[in-house]
Amino acid sequence: MKKLRIAVYKFASCDGCQLQLLNLEDELLDLVEHVEFAMFYEASSDVKPGPYDVAFIEGAVSTPEEEEIVRKAREESKIVVAIGACATAGGIQALRNWANVEEYKKYVYPNPEWIKALEKAHPISDYIKVDYEIRGCPVSKEQLSFFIRQLLIGKKPTLPVDSVCMECKMKGNVCLMVTKGIPCLGPVTMAGCGAICPSYGRGCYGCYGPMIDPKPRALAQAFVKMMGLSKRDVALLFKSFTGWSKPFREVVDEYGK
Amino acid sequence: MSLTGLYYGKPVELVKLFNTLKSRGYKVIGPKVVEGVIRLEELGSYEELASNVSDIQEPGRYRLVDGGKYFRHGPDSPKKMLYPPRLTLFRITKDYRIEVPEVEVPKIAFFALKPCDLAAIQVMDRVQGCLGDAYYNLVRRNLVIVVENCVEPGGTCFCATMGTGPIASKGFDVAFTRIRDDLVVFEAGSSLGVELLDELELEPLDEKLYREFIDVVRRAYSKARPIELPDKLPELLELTLDSDMYKEIAEKCLGCANCNMVCPTCFCFDVIDIPYYDGSAERVRVWDGCFSYNYAAVAGGHYRPDLWARYRHWFLHKFSYWVKQFGTYGCVGCGRCITWCPVGIDVRDTLRRAIKEAEKHG
Ligand code: SF4
Ligand code: SF4
Repeated sequence: MKKLRIAVYKFASCDGCQLQLLNLEDELLDLVEHVEFAMFYEASSDVKPGPYDVAFIEGAVSTPEEEEIVRKAREESKIVVAIGACATAGGIQALRNWANVEEYKKYVYPNPEWIKALEKAHPISDYIKVDYEIRGCPVSKEQLSFFIRQLLIGKKPTLPVDSVCMECKMKGNVCLMVTKGIPCLGPVTMAGCGAICPSYGRGCYGCYGPMIDPKPRALAQAFVKMMGLSKRDVALLFKSFTGWSKPFREVVDEYGK
Repeated sequence: MSLTGLYYGKPVELVKLFNTLKSRGYKVIGPKVVEGVIRLEELGSYEELASNVSDIQEPGRYRLVDGGKYFRHGPDSPKKMLYPPRLTLFRITKDYRIEVPEVEVPKIAFFALKPCDLAAIQVMDRVQGCLGDAYYNLVRRNLVIVVENCVEPGGTCFCATMGTGPIASKGFDVAFTRIRDDLVVFEAGSSLGVELLDELELEPLDEKLYREFIDVVRRAYSKARPIELPDKLPELLELTLDSDMYKEIAEKCLGCANCNMVCPTCFCFDVIDIPYYDGSAERVRVWDGCFSYNYAAVAGGHYRPDLWARYRHWFLHKFSYWVKQFGTYGCVGCGRCITWCPVGIDVRDTLRRAIKEAEKHG
């Protein structure tokens, strides 16, 4: 059987998502029997040219140079998969999208004029057609593996798209909002992480971003009316890993005024 | 012999009953306090049964407090054991043979199950009888049910509306009612129940105690504050199909499907195929629900893309369509969907409102 040729691209990000591929320790030998990592800098400097069957793209587009590379990635790859909060929603660096990047540059760099940064950090879907998204900060290695194994047998890959609440309930977690009054983004956040944070008694931070058909404004209202949160706190809750995703951004803009 | 079929004994008889079930090899499952919440869990001994706690349940709010005599069911329902959230249906080997995994079917005895949950099992019996779910039917065959009647219905309970409680009338092996601190009334509901009660030291209820029992029952019913259901409710509710009320209610709804997950009668599922590197695969069944977006996505389209339509479907299925489908309501009035809805949407309000709307049209 011909091996699936995979390319791993990286833009503004922490490398944690692609690292999850290497974290598949126990199954790496099985994996490389079926796929060829033609381009995967984190694993090897031996890079082979495209075209590729699948491109996993990590990171947000935040420089003019990256704008070019992301378009090239699309041309070179049959299937484009955005992985992680940065590639799918802009990630943590998209917090600067609410501020003035020129000001930031001045404070951080001694020679700000050397830094070519776009005014905003962008999810890659702002530039190219994305075929699939694997969410999370970082993505879950189980989801990565499940995704690849579905591709290998020629099945259209599917991953959960509903709320984290469903995962919590199936796992047997007790609701933190209902029993402890802890604000939680689970009811509007896409499942897939295995409800990690609520399993440890913390409200969901929403790192998987908005679920399918999300209702973040209804949740924001409940935070204020039922839990007595200030508007500012509501805005801060939504303004994190995936705050720049459109549904969450709307809440940030409305409540953070 | 008791003419009423009712007997009484000291609370220690409950311990004996519990131990009999254990010694007969049953995995005894009942209400247990785990991290400040009543869960349905296996009980190692009678002492693990929840006691001296009471719960506060309101729309979207649950608190367990020390002291007090009465508590209601928590988020878990018998569905957790009879219809597990994740079940491997079969495996396919790389040469395409189908292997159904051998499952170890637990021999379960529910102890101190609430009447609404007993009713939920009876509803599930009809559903699974139709669907023919093998696992459900295997567990069900061995199931023993000891019900504790509710003397004090809780803040989100409406069993009396649905005719499922607070006192169980059929379908149990044994039912008991704590009418005083030092006095428990017992009733057998099956031949096994008679056998189990035979091993206890019980006396038939005399007239005085029978009156006392009836008083307790009456008080429980009145505390359950039933909603008056009109005749032909299922047909009547269909008149609300075009009402805007569902759009208004669903404005608050998150579509998170917590209500589906905690409902003891919601039985919808999804199947996931999990392929492995060696060419084998596994088909797994997981819980799903009508609030989830993808539930109504089909090849070629989506028949309930709007959340309000999903809310309407869930509500009308429970109180109207279910009756046509399975000959019973799909709701037993346990109130879980009210307590465990993170935004506190109250199905009792929806029911009252829908009845009014329907009567306007009717
Ligand atoms: S009714 Fe409540 S629990 Fe059910 S989907 Fe809507 S918000 Fe979630
Ligand atoms: S619809 Fe709500 S009240 Fe009725 S059985 Fe389900 S969870 Fe209980």
